[in-house]
Amino acid sequence: MRTQGLTKDYGPVLALDSLDLEIGPGITGLVGANGAGKSTLLKILLGLVPATGGRAQVLGHDIASDGPAIRAAVGYLPEHDCLPPDVSASDFVVHMAMMSGLPRVAARERAAEVLRHVGLAEERYRPMGGYSTGMKQKAKLAQALAHDPRLVLLDEPTNGLDPAAREEMLGLVQRIGRDFGIAVIVTSHLLGELERVSDHVVVLDGGRLLRASRTDEFLDATGVLLVEVLGDDAQARMVAALSLAGVTTAPRGAMLTVDAAAGERDVHDLIRDTASDLGLGLVRLQVDHRHIEDVFADGSGAVTQPSADPREVTHD
Amino acid sequence: MTDPTSATPEGGSVIHDLGYRPYTGPRLGPAAIARALVITGFRNAFGLGRSGKSKVLPFILLALNLMPAVIVGGVMVFVGLDALPIGYAQYASTTQVLLGIFVASQAPVLFSRDLRHGTISLYLARPLPSSTYAIARWASLLGATLVFLLLPILVLYAVALLGELDVSDQTSDAAVAVGLALLLALSLTGLAGLIASWSTRRGFAVVATIALLLIGNGIVTAIQGISQQEGHARVGEVAGLFSPYSLYRGLMSIWTDNKTPTPPTGMPMQLAYVVVFIALSVACLGGLVWRYRRVATA
Repeated sequence: MRTQGLTKDYGPVLALDSLDLEIGPGITGLVGANGAGKSTLLKILLGLVPATGGRAQVLGHDIASDGPAIRAAVGYLPEHDCLPPDVSASDFVVHMAMMSGLPRVAARERAAEVLRHVGLAEERYRPMGGYSTGMKQKAKLAQALAHDPRLVLLDEPTNGLDPAAREEMLGLVQRIGRDFGIAVIVTSHLLGELERVSDHVVVLDGGRLLRASRTDEFLDATGVLLVEVLGDDAQARMVAALSLAGVTTAPRGAMLTVDAAAGERDVHDLIRDTASDLGLGLVRLQVDHRHIEDVFADGSGAVTQPSADPREVTHD
Repeated sequence: MTDPTSATPEGGSVIHDLGYRPYTGPRLGPAAIARALVITGFRNAFGLGRSGKSKVLPFILLALNLMPAVIVGGVMVFVGLDALPIGYAQYASTTQVLLGIFVASQAPVLFSRDLRHGTISLYLARPLPSSTYAIARWASLLGATLVFLLLPILVLYAVALLGELDVSDQTSDAAVAVGLALLLALSLTGLAGLIASWSTRRGFAVVATIALLLIGNGIVTAIQGISQQEGHARVGEVAGLFSPYSLYRGLMSIWTDNKTPTPPTGMPMQLAYVVVFIALSVACLGGLVWRYRRVATA
């Protein structure tokens, strides 16, 4: 999927501001606060809403001219309720599969299989009006998968779920992307969720692209170790000793941050030996994991950690 | 380990998780999808494929609507009349209240339900364009209305043939009635569908449609009755243009032996009845397509 200068102007609100974006296969998390343009982007990609400006291709089809071809190969889980209460999940998924062009017999087989995958058992034969939110989300996911799409767009699939159901849904999303081999674009305003399940993360803010990269780059690219030492004037002595050994070190709160990327020696050994030589107690030595939240902090230009890698701030 | 294809030692069978299997079969085009939508909608209009509760009203109405025809059949068989006590075309006019309630109550099933529950966004996220969706929904309602209108005609026709009435006379009378029923079904479907597509609340759509059809017809009938008594038949003829039921009665008076007050006289007026009848249906269908195009881009 690729967009070039994609813009959507709702009159008073500019939902997307000339967005350039490229999303490959795998699971892509689309993160943003409410109103950041996530849902609008999905609707434009489906060809449901015409873009005010710019172009986009989905699965090699242009959104402006090839809408039906895109919609035949894409599954969509909308954010809001979309299930008729007086129909059973089984009948509904069969019908929706047929609406994507599957013959009746094939639609029945697919519906049974997909409902099994999402974990709707006997309750699939009951009218959906009596379903819990978790079951409804599963039924919505099942209809999005019914026609074996090449790409599914999941708009806030974990919205309104309790923690257990949320875990289950995230597990399903992960299976769709990894085991089923279907590309996934999943939106959420909860960053921690996407951190775990997605291969790529795209951050939108106010209709603009804040950042797009692999999830592991988000999380592990700092190359910084956190060290905590105990003893008389421990921090200052440790900083002095490590700096002397040629390792960039700076205090952060009660701990030290050590740039492990520099220097040819194994920094872990160096830290251990230094602490031992100085007679200090080495309390903690860990990799400095960052969270996607930090990207937001960087993006808003507010709190930037002193340890922040200069590579992080890619936007402007 | 045991052979995965065999049953367990206890003799029970095992379900093997085959994992996810991609679909490699055929994918049908828009015409086949639209046909599937029409058939599902037609079934849904009678409550089939929906909850048990939703089957009650349509089938009660259908049974009530058929009852006079069945009674006539019984009378014909046991008494042996030399003509049907009720004309084919007259039948729909006699049971117009039932017909109005049926169309008014089942149009929201096809039109309001998807809007109210947001299902419309799932349809729009699939290959069918919004205009095809609107026409398919309309066709489902038209089919259901036609079943409602044509079943009694079929029963009467069968009874007439069993009663050994003149086959060619009966056939031509029944054919005229079928044509009239088609015109009536087209206009009622369009009106009820258009109202239902503007309302996400089922109750509102039902009340508005019944009000428009039955109260509108009541007013027209009153005007026609008064104008005939007062000797201003033309007023009644013009008033007849304003309700599907009165249009139906007017054309029935011209084309069959069943006479009603202030039938359209003169070629231009008779032509106006036909044109208004068809134009109303076409306008409503156009309105439906326009409505769903707006829903799609909202």
